Parts: sequence; C-alpha cells; structure tokens
Amino acid sequence: MAATADIAQANTQAAQTAERWRAVRYLFLIFLGFWLLFTLFPLYFMAITAFKSAAETNLTQPTFWPQEWFPENFVGVFAEPTNFSALVDSFIIATGNTLLSLLLGSLAGYAFARFPRQAGGENMAFWMLSNRMFPPVAILVPMFFLFDNTPWGTDSHISLIILYLVFNLPLATWLMMVFFRDVPHELEEAAYLDGWKPLRAFVKVTLPLVLPGMISVAMLCWIFAWNEYLFANLFVGSDVRTYTIVIPTFTHGSQTLWNLQMAFSLIAMIPPVVLFIVLRRYMVRGLSLGVVKG
Amino acid sequence: MANITIEGLCKGWDFPVIDDLSVEIEEGEFFVVVGPSGIGKTTLLRLIAGLESADRGRILLGEREVTHLPPYRRRVAMTFESYALYPHLTVFENISSPLRARKKDRATIERRVKAVAQLLRIDHLLDRKPGQVSGGQKQRTALGRTLVADPEVFLLDEPISHLDAKIRQDLRMQFHTLEELRRVATLYVTHDYAEALSLGDRIGVMGNGGKLVQIGSARELFERPKALFVAEHLGQPTINAIPSILQEENGSLFACAENAALRLALSPQQSQRLNGGAKRRIVLGLRPQHVRPADELRGRDSEIDAQIDIFEALGSNGIIITKAGGVTITGLTHPERHFEPGQDLRLAIDTEALHIFDAETGLSLLEEPRWQG
Amino acid sequence: MTPERKEAVVSEIVRGTPSTYPAWFSARKRSKPLIVSRRVPILLVGLPVLVLLAIVIYPTIWMFYHSLRDTNINHLFSGEHASVGLENYRTVLSSERFHDSLWHLALYLFFGACLQVLLGTLLALIIYEYLKSNLARALILILLVLPMMLPPSIVGTLWRFLLTPSNGAINQALLDLGIISSHIEWFNAGVSLWSIIIADVWNWTALPLLIVYSGRVSLPPAVYEAARVDGAGQWKVLRRITLPMLKEVIAIAFILRFTDAFKFVDLVYVMTSGGPAQSSELPTYIAFQRGIREFAIGEAAAYAIIIFAISAIIVTLFLKYMKRVMKAQGLA
Repeated sequence: MAATADIAQANTQAAQTAERWRAVRYLFLIFLGFWLLFTLFPLYFMAITAFKSAAETNLTQPTFWPQEWFPENFVGVFAEPTNFSALVDSFIIATGNTLLSLLLGSLAGYAFARFPRQAGGENMAFWMLSNRMFPPVAILVPMFFLFDNTPWGTDSHISLIILYLVFNLPLATWLMMVFFRDVPHELEEAAYLDGWKPLRAFVKVTLPLVLPGMISVAMLCWIFAWNEYLFANLFVGSDVRTYTIVIPTFTHGSQTLWNLQMAFSLIAMIPPVVLFIVLRRYMVRGLSLGVVKG
Repeated sequence: MANITIEGLCKGWDFPVIDDLSVEIEEGEFFVVVGPSGIGKTTLLRLIAGLESADRGRILLGEREVTHLPPYRRRVAMTFESYALYPHLTVFENISSPLRARKKDRATIERRVKAVAQLLRIDHLLDRKPGQVSGGQKQRTALGRTLVADPEVFLLDEPISHLDAKIRQDLRMQFHTLEELRRVATLYVTHDYAEALSLGDRIGVMGNGGKLVQIGSARELFERPKALFVAEHLGQPTINAIPSILQEENGSLFACAENAALRLALSPQQSQRLNGGAKRRIVLGLRPQHVRPADELRGRDSEIDAQIDIFEALGSNGIIITKAGGVTITGLTHPERHFEPGQDLRLAIDTEALHIFDAETGLSLLEEPRWQG
Repeated sequence: MTPERKEAVVSEIVRGTPSTYPAWFSARKRSKPLIVSRRVPILLVGLPVLVLLAIVIYPTIWMFYHSLRDTNINHLFSGEHASVGLENYRTVLSSERFHDSLWHLALYLFFGACLQVLLGTLLALIIYEYLKSNLARALILILLVLPMMLPPSIVGTLWRFLLTPSNGAINQALLDLGIISSHIEWFNAGVSLWSIIIADVWNWTALPLLIVYSGRVSLPPAVYEAARVDGAGQWKVLRRITLPMLKEVIAIAFILRFTDAFKFVDLVYVMTSGGPAQSSELPTYIAFQRGIREFAIGEAAAYAIIIFAISAIIVTLFLKYMKRVMKAQGLA
C-alpha cells in the first residue's frame, strides 16, 4: 500500500515538474521570438527605408511600409561617383591587407606550429595574439604623424593596408598556427622519406590540407578590414575614402538622405553576409581564435 | 643494397634516449627491435631515417655515411605507427608518391603501383581516399608506399600493433613472405614479443637508457637471456622472478627464496658456473613452461608443495598461479585439466632450465657476461 | 660526503640531471637539424615580428615618451617640447572628465560585454534545446548573426536613425504598441550612453551566441544519455553537465568581448560624439579627441598609456587563462 502511494506521489511530482518545464519552455521560446524581433526590426526598417522617397523618410510619423516604392534609390546612390569609388577603395584596401596578413601570418603560423622552440615558444605566439587585444588608441596618433612624413601620406590605400595589419596580422598568425597544428607533422616527414624536398613536401602535402583553414582566415581578415571604421575615419577622407566613412555623410544641406544611406548600406553588407553564410562553420573557429571547433 | 652500420649512436633531449648504440644489420636481414613503449625504439628509426639528427655516432648505409644527410637523400623507406597517409590523395597517389618524387615516367609508375597493390591485395581500392578504407587496408597502403620506393633500407615502426588480432596475424604472415623485405636490410620495431620472435632473423631487445641489452636469434634470447630484463620481456605468461639467496650445503648449492620457505637445489653444472658464491643475492628466473603439476613432468625435477590460487583454462594450455612456501609461482598445465582455488598440489620444476640473475645488476650469472651495463 | 659528491647531489636537485647520465650527454652540443636549418623558423617569424614592432611597439614607446612632455601640434616637429615629468598623468587622473568616462566604461563593460555573453549563452542554449530541425537552427543563427556583419558606421547611423526622438522608428513603434506614452529622448544626457549600449548589444550579442552554440553542438551526446538514464531533470542537467562543460567556451567568448570592449569607441563617434556634454564619453574617445582633434598630444598620450596599462593587466590575465584552456585541449 505504502509503495503504491509513493509511486503515485512520485508520478504527481514528475507531472508537476513536466508542467513547470513546459511553462519555462514557452517562456524561453517567447524570449527567442522577442530577440529575433529586436535583431530583425532594425534590419527590416533599414531595408524598407532604402525603398522610400526622401520625403517619406522625413515624415513626422515614420511609416512601417513604404507608401511608394523607390527601387531607383539603389541606382541613385551611385549618381554620386565617389560612392562607387568608395566601395572600390574599400575593396582594394581589404584585399591588399588580407593578402599581406595571410602571407606574413602563414609564415609565422607555420613556424609556430612546426618549430615552436626555435620560433620563440608559445610565449612568442601569445605575444603576437596580444597585439590584437590591445586598444589601438596608443598607436593611432604616432602612426598618423609617421605616415604624414611618408611620400604617400596618410590619405592613401597603402597607409590603411599597413595599419590594418595591427589587428589582422596577429589574428592571421594565430589562426594559421592553429590550422597548421591540425596537420600532423608525420605527413610532411613521410613526404621527405618519399624523396620530396622540404618546399615540395610543403606544397604537395601541408598546403592542400591547410587550404580550407587558410581561406576562412582570409575571409575573416577581409571582413574585418572591409568593415573597419575608426582608422579610416582618422587617416583617409579626400583622396581615398572607404565606404565605412562615406556612410555617415549622406546629407543634402542639413537633411540626412536616409533612403540613400540605407540603400548604400544594404549593398555594402552583401559581401560579408555572403561570406559568412558560405563559411559559417570555419568562421566560428576563427572568431573564437581556434578554441571552439565549428 | 646495403648493410646498415650504426656506431656509437647517441641522442637525447632533456634526458638521454639512445645511449651509445652500435649494431650492424646485414643486407637481406630482418632485424626486430623489441622493447617496452617509450624506450626509444621509434627514435632509433627516426635517426636512421634522418628525421632526427644524431648527437654523436655514425650511421652508414653500405659504405656511404648518411649521418648528416636529410631523409630525402638517404634512400630509406619508413612506415609510421600512425600510417601517415596523405588524406587528400587517393590510395594510388599515396603509393606512387615516392616514384613521383623521383620523377619516374607515367607508365613505370602505373606498372609498379599496380604490381605492389596486387601483392598487398589492395588493387581494388586504388581510387579511394585513405578515409574510406579500413585500418588493415591503410596499413597495406602505407606498406605499399614503402615497397614501391625500392630503398636500401626498410624501417617499419609498429606496423601491425593497432590492428585487430585476425588482420594482425594475416599481415604478419605477409611479412614472412614478402620478397622485397627479404632482399634488403629491414629494421622492424615492435613492443610485442610474439611478433619479434616470429619475424626476426635477429632480435635486439632494447632496455632502459636506449641500449640494446641483447642481440640474438629468437631461440637464443628465449633460452639464454643475458639479463632479467630480457627474460621478463619475452614470453607469456611472464617469467617467474623470485628474489633469493644462494646457500651451500654439503658441497651443493641451493637457492632459497627471500623471506619465504621455498628452496630449490641447483644442478652441478649450474653450481660450477656460479663458482661457489654462497650467501650471494640473486633473482631466480623460472619460465612457467618449466613449472608443471608433478604428474605431468618427469625426470630430473625438483618437486615442491603448492596451493592453487587461480586457474585459467586457455585454448592451447592452462595457466596455474600457485603459492609455494609464500612465493607466487606461475606454471602451465593441460587445458583440459581442472583445478579449484585452494586445492593442494605437487609442482615439478625443471631446474635444468632455471635462469639465475645477479640481484644488483640484473645480469645472468650463467651466461657469458658479454654485455656490460 | 665528499665535496664532489655533494656537488653532484646538489646539481641533481637543482637541474634534475642525475649524476649517472653518460658523459656524452652533458658534453653534447645541440645537433644541427638535418631537414630545415635552424635559421628558417627565425626568418619565418622574424618578418611579422618586425612589422608588429614597427606598427605597435614603436608607436607605444613614442606615446610613452610624449606622455612625459608638454607636446602639442605647434612644436611637435620642431622638438621644442619640454619634459613635464608626470604632470600629464596628474592632469588626467585628477580630471572630472576622466572619472566620468571611467564610470561610463564600467557601465559599458558590464552591459556591453557581460550582458552580451549572458544573453548569447541563453539564446544559444534555447536554440539548441528547443529547435530540433537543423534547417530552423541554421536559419535563425544566420538571421541573428546579420548585425555582426555590419561595420560600426552602419550600425551607428542606423541606430541614430531608429532612435531619432521626434520621428524615429523605435519611438513610433513603442508608441503604437502602447508601451510608452511620449517620445523618449534617446540622445539626452544620461540616456545617450544607453542608446550606444543598446546598439552595441544588437551588434555583438551574436558573437558569444555563435561560440557557445558551436561549443554546445560539440558536447558528446553520450553524457546526456547517461544523465537521462539516471533520471536527472533538465535543470540538473543544465547546471551539472551543460554549463560546467561549456565553462571554457563561455569564458573565451567573454574574453573576446571584454578585450573588444576596451577597444570600443567607434559607435561613440558615429552616434553621439561623446555628447551631450561629454555624458557618453569613454576614456579612449577622450584620448582621440585630445590627441587628434585638439592636438594636446602630451595629454592624449597620458590617456593612451593609462588605458594601455589597464588593458595590459587584463589581457595578460585573460591570455593566461586561454593558455590553460588551449593546453587542456591539446592546442597549445
């Protein structure tokens, strides 16, 4: 008798817990829904604003659906030729910096992965990484005057390509080290024994195996350089203008041209979004500095 | 085609790993290095392959000194314990790698890879990637990559240790029959004594400090171990090692187990070899196959009283673990017999086959002291 | 004990080298590698290290030097600036403006970094536990990550646009939903910092979310099956299994956000320019403002060095922890 009572009691208890968990579950799902709304509403508003007329964006009561569709905004953005050249400038700087970061980072990353002792040990690797974590405030002012004294000046592609190494080179080095470590040393050794010389062994065996990692590092560096704002804002502006510093300047007289600004933003966010969707798995590894396998 | 000559080879990192090792392996010889894990066997192979540089000593392939040559100038082929197959290449491309490195023409590559693959029975897998074949097939691919290279020396590092028992047996047989391996000097490293005894023309037992404690044929090592370490490492079940003291009584020697009531008479030959030496501390080595229930073994045996601790009936023999005078002694019996734990029995010991080692140095007192510690 | 023997024993204790090691071992020189010369790794690492020395270490030293001098733009290049000792530091450390900015930084660190990690973890676990279809998970992850792909200048202008007090979309939406009855002045003193924090949470919560989600995906299912067999409730599973096993991953996400927070300044630039009346300034922003807009280089340098020193402590602590995590995973 007592036993049956116990079981019955246990059953009600279990039922109660289950009931409570169902409630919690709904609470959590509501929260997730709220967060989706919070995340997507600004993007949604950005998108519809891009299709509005300039007049509609300045109504005293903002509309949540365009009264009239103006897809020509996306063309109108480029009526100002500097806007297109800003995308080109950004592209040149991001790509140049990525190539440089990847080249230098792969060299050091390979050395850290294969010859940790000769390359200065893990402390050296961590020092490299720490450069990414420090605030750039200490370097910007002196670098400004340093570049001012070079023949190409601060307002040039090359100044930003070099400056962006501050954050992308440590990242590329560190991540390439992580990816090179994933390739067992013995594979290269087997290649030596097969008769391949070191460089050939690297090209035949290690490089193909590390290539996916390398591509994801490149993409990550590219996105960071493409989206950089602070350095660009201080260094360039007249000869060279990256799209990130152009965006806050869409004004006509005292009026901000929100519709064109949002249309331009939408265009500029396409490359990073596409890269992210394609390389999502590798991105997580890169964003977490190699600690979390995506 | 060449001998491998190793003279005074030394290598250490934070501690010495290979210490003054000298050995000569002849052309066509299958030389097995056996020893516990982590003792430096792989380091020895890596030194010969040129993946590590020696701190001291010389390595010669034939007349040519290769001590300071990188691996790609040595004509040495090696299989790795981890197989080290290129995961992005097919089995065919893996096997053909040494040929491509030497810039052979396509037809030759095709022909030789096909031949080796057929020999190793992996010719149906040539288009697969290493990730798509089984462990045994991976090992065959790795072996194929070394066979096709036509080297002066084969180095095989634990080639079959990580495979299932049946495939292991299968590949072991193949090592016996592979012509290519029998034409050149082969150095085979394993921790498994059975593999060593089965495959080696000669066997070197590697002990602490990276020395070859004893080199010899399987029979030599098994029957006349020069050190307790060798005796303990070869043979299953492990040899009984009983710390004892020599005592003399009426002109003949006895071995008395320390702190126990076990006493064995030594044969006149053994007594003569030991040359007196009463009160000396020794370790008595007694192989389980020389310990049997008294009704199974007859002849010049000592008999002692014992009690069964554990009885294991295996397929081809039975193992009895007994207590005799406070000492645990392992012996063998017929598998179809049956013993109960606690059961008393009389054990016969073939004292002719006793091994006697010095308690301090672990060296055999019966064999010629050729090896110095 | 003879002196020699004593020496041998001492050396054994100190260096861990038993005196019984063979003679060649102590006498040996480091053997030359056969495959890749010892110089190659140094060359490989040398180039990137030189670059970083030039663009990170040199400027830092430059800043440190000028933090001790009364440098301004007029005599920066003529070299007529004089040493003022620690005067610049005294000015900075005693200024009301710096104290306020530190308080702003503290608020931002808590809500900008900690809250993001908290929310990100919560969302990651909700998505993993309650959404069972892989397609739904992937879709929601991609949607939630979109803000992270935007540059700070877009995020800043977008939120300035959304939060426009008079006719901004957020105020209008909140009014329509009946949550507020009159416009919120998002860019007034005391509120503008929170506007920046909201924009930053919107921008970066996805990073901890992604990292924790990936960490959760790679946890071994066997552990959860065992817990289910034992009849452990969901709460217990979360507290005893999931969170402890995700500890390192969450810590890494936190480290990344926290160090980024110290570098954070661009949204301040775009959204409020530190205003109104310096009410949303962060130390870094003041350093830029004083150095590059107002050319008080000595004072800006003192700001920079103070910020650098604070973050050096934090980065060192964090890297120590990361080293441990990576060691445990066999990565370092």
